[in-house]
Amino acid sequence: MKIKALLAVGLTATSLLAMGACGSSSSSTSSSSGSTSSDEGGNKTLAVYAWAGEIPDSVISGFEKETGIKVTVDTFDSNETMISKLATGTSGYDIVEPSQYAVQLMVQRNLLDTIDKTKLTGFDNLNTKFVNPSFDADNAHSLPWAWGTTGILYNEKCTGGAITGWADMWDSKYKGKMYMLNNMLSAYIAGLQVQGLSATTTAQADIEKATTKLLAQKPLLAGYNSDNYADLVGSGDACIAESYSGTTAAKAVANNADVHFIMPSEGGTLWTDSFSIVNGTKNQTAAYQWLNYTLKPEVAALLTDDGSLATANAAALSDIKNTSLAESPAVYPSDADLAKAEFIVDPGTALTYYQDGWTKISAS
Amino acid sequence: MDRFVAWFCRIAFVFLYIPIVAVVVYSFNASEVSYRYTGVTTHWYAELFHDDRLLETLRTSAVVGVLASLVATAIGFLTAFALARYRVKGRAFFLGAIMIPLIVPEIVLGVSLLEIFSRAGIPNGLLTLVLGHVVITLPLATLVQMGAMTSLDPSLSEAATDLGANGWVIFRRVLFPLLRPSVLAAFLLSFTTSFSNIVISTFTSGVGTTTLPLRIYSSLRTGLTPELNALGTLLVLFTLAVIVLVGVRQMRRILA
Repeated sequence: MKIKALLAVGLTATSLLAMGACGSSSSSTSSSSGSTSSDEGGNKTLAVYAWAGEIPDSVISGFEKETGIKVTVDTFDSNETMISKLATGTSGYDIVEPSQYAVQLMVQRNLLDTIDKTKLTGFDNLNTKFVNPSFDADNAHSLPWAWGTTGILYNEKCTGGAITGWADMWDSKYKGKMYMLNNMLSAYIAGLQVQGLSATTTAQADIEKATTKLLAQKPLLAGYNSDNYADLVGSGDACIAESYSGTTAAKAVANNADVHFIMPSEGGTLWTDSFSIVNGTKNQTAAYQWLNYTLKPEVAALLTDDGSLATANAAALSDIKNTSLAESPAVYPSDADLAKAEFIVDPGTALTYYQDGWTKISAS
Repeated sequence: MDRFVAWFCRIAFVFLYIPIVAVVVYSFNASEVSYRYTGVTTHWYAELFHDDRLLETLRTSAVVGVLASLVATAIGFLTAFALARYRVKGRAFFLGAIMIPLIVPEIVLGVSLLEIFSRAGIPNGLLTLVLGHVVITLPLATLVQMGAMTSLDPSLSEAATDLGANGWVIFRRVLFPLLRPSVLAAFLLSFTTSFSNIVISTFTSGVGTTTLPLRIYSSLRTGLTPELNALGTLLVLFTLAVIVLVGVRQMRRILA
């Protein structure tokens, strides 16, 4: 019995190994062919480093089919992780997808190539709202791809009426039925804007005011939650949640007529994730091919159809097949709603004030 | 008192197994939101098997897990064998050195590995992932095997010597067969540790080598899909299969 059992385990281990061996051989061939071809300037592979869920498979397979270039996509969970990997200089990535403030940080560290506009076709397709942004003058290092907002998701049945802004999240009526995003800068958006302050402030006094405000809010909250708040609002276990727009919010709204996503009357914020070329890439040609491919309206439209995210490509809007998503405020808030929305940018040295306050809030 | 213990035991069981049962149940949920159950579907399994990118991360994790565990178990076996059976100079030092990766916060190890690999000009990839995982699995593999070796009755090898066996024969015919369950335990423990690791993987993964836990963790921002429940169910099934294969009795002996 014992020997048989051991044999069986040995067999599973070897079969696993065999599976692993073919897996590793295929991946090693793809990576080795990548390095050799790039040395010869053959450009047969492209390594993309992006947020999970922001590049639909249809975009990747379409690009591979059109250009014959093999794409590997790796995903990161935060801009900070991505930056620390690229900072080694040996990451091997060609295209990277930083958020707006990360573009600033990466330009400061010389991690991104300047984009040569003469090599681009379709730059005019981009929504003018995202062109020449505050974090990257003249789009010298980044081309906007996806965008979204930070707003409020609420369940009307639970709240008993419409929610209009951050101020509602300080209403003791909803005590124990509210969630804030478990993310420092996102939480401060509400804490600052509810007092009429800018969400991008770097003034110590403003940030301390926001800290006090958030401390006062904490007893009313069910918690800080970035994972399943949309499900909780959908099921009615929570009434209101600070929420990102996009896939999760769209799903919650689509599955329950009582659930709404709004931009708060105090403003809310905007984010964009852009494509940039990694400084020192050996696959320049393929990288520009990627940029040009993703600038195409019919390709950018797939981001909404297959990824439930808003595209920064204005020409793509008419190509979106899923019109309910194109009209959903959880994906595309109206221009009027966005009028007061602020871009979150790198707080620079003021970051320590935010961190100090956040520590206090977390500990309270 | 007995009844209290019995109930406590039941509650503990339910608590431990609810998440596993929930994953299986939700993997067949027709609704894409978890708070509603609108019927049974195998749609998420179909989606999973067509999601090449996700399956690639699963394969990466399996490959890294097997390779890292093999290396860790082998080095761990030799280390434990030397420390448990011979008078090695600086034994305490070596023992302490083995424990260090268990004590040092993983994030510190991860950052320093990233730094070292980039200084050495080794691009992040399969090699760095495996090396990184060896660092964290080696102490476990060594400790498990050392426990088994120190509890071996020394009179067994003395008896074998008496009967005319030389060192190699004693090792092959007497010691190794007795140690085999602990080698297996070390391998399995190393594998699960490597398979579920996030922190070290964050710093050592590279182009084309995103592991499954990294992928799942990074999906949190845009939302988890029920497809992951399907994958979870298959992994539970696989684990069950391994447990049955190893034999429940065998496992009990290893863990005892």
